[in-house]
Amino acid sequence: MHGEYKMPGGKLIVADLVVRDGRLAGVSISGDFFLEPDTALGIIDRALEGLPASADKEKMTAALNEALGEGVSMFGISTEAVAVAVERALEDRS
Amino acid sequence: MSRTGWDDYDWQLIHDEPQSPVLHMALDEVLMDEAAAGRRAPALRFWEWASSCVVIGRFQSLRNEVDPEGARRHGIEVVRRISGGGAMFNEPGNTITYSVYAPEAIVEGLSFQESYAFMDGWVIEALNDLGIEAWYQPLNDITSPGGKIGGAAQVRRRGAVLHHAMLAYNINADRMTEVLRIGKEKLSDKGTTSAAKRVDPLYSQTGLSREAIVSSMIATFRERHGLVDDAVHRREMDKALDLAESKFTTREWTAIVP
Repeated sequence: MHGEYKMPGGKLIVADLVVRDGRLAGVSISGDFFLEPDTALGIIDRALEGLPASADKEKMTAALNEALGEGVSMFGISTEAVAVAVERALEDRS
Repeated sequence: MSRTGWDDYDWQLIHDEPQSPVLHMALDEVLMDEAAAGRRAPALRFWEWASSCVVIGRFQSLRNEVDPEGARRHGIEVVRRISGGGAMFNEPGNTITYSVYAPEAIVEGLSFQESYAFMDGWVIEALNDLGIEAWYQPLNDITSPGGKIGGAAQVRRRGAVLHHAMLAYNINADRMTEVLRIGKEKLSDKGTTSAAKRVDPLYSQTGLSREAIVSSMIATFRERHGLVDDAVHRREMDKALDLAESKFTTREWTAIVP
């Protein structure tokens, strides 16, 4: 499943994932955004992995915020925008 | 830490012979780390390309960005850089690429958005001097009335900042669209559906040679901030050659976001 979201005033965020046993699996977030340090991308993917596919945007955003903590700088991307890209992937029927 | 200015540093110019795409990727990482360690003075590097390539951003999906069949057909190498941002299609002679390596203190206290415009202030001035009406378009684009000219990206680590950018001098739009996958969503807020139309390269804007534009940019930087001629040092080149081999040519790195 594939979802894309161009964050207003920001960059493109892409979510690729599958749903297995009602949970997000194989989550890969990508896009032309900026993250420091670059290892934060792995933290984002792991924070989403295993979340119930029924989780709403607020729940996903909260899980991302908790996993990322304070030390990560984001530019052109936000945890809310990542959640929107995931939501769009979950709506993808292709 | 308080913010420093351009004039607090003795800027060095690096403008070497054409090099391979992987070596350019490695040089950026090595020169930033050498600047961070205090072993190299802040520098401006202009790149000359030995071959065509697609450069994808650190966080982009390889398969979402690149059409492998098209890249193979045209003999175009795909490399991943250490900074975020979008994919760039580059053919020798068609782009103007540069990097600035500096202590992070130079952007201290600025927002990311401000720091991009700040680091490219000399570029906007150089383009204006050439009669091009160019300005900074947040977050990271250099643009003009006819369209985008180029894009920048930054990396910050261990107290250093790398700011690099690629400007379009000329463009082979047909080949670009055969090699890059241009996402529909990305274009939705840009008002046009053609990737080629979004860019207005410097050649069509000025009719000047690429060399003349590069010389003029260097002259503007020299006037504004001071600039002494330098080159990649032997140690730096040895490190970069190692890193090109051990990291930038590997599938693990290029497909780190599959």
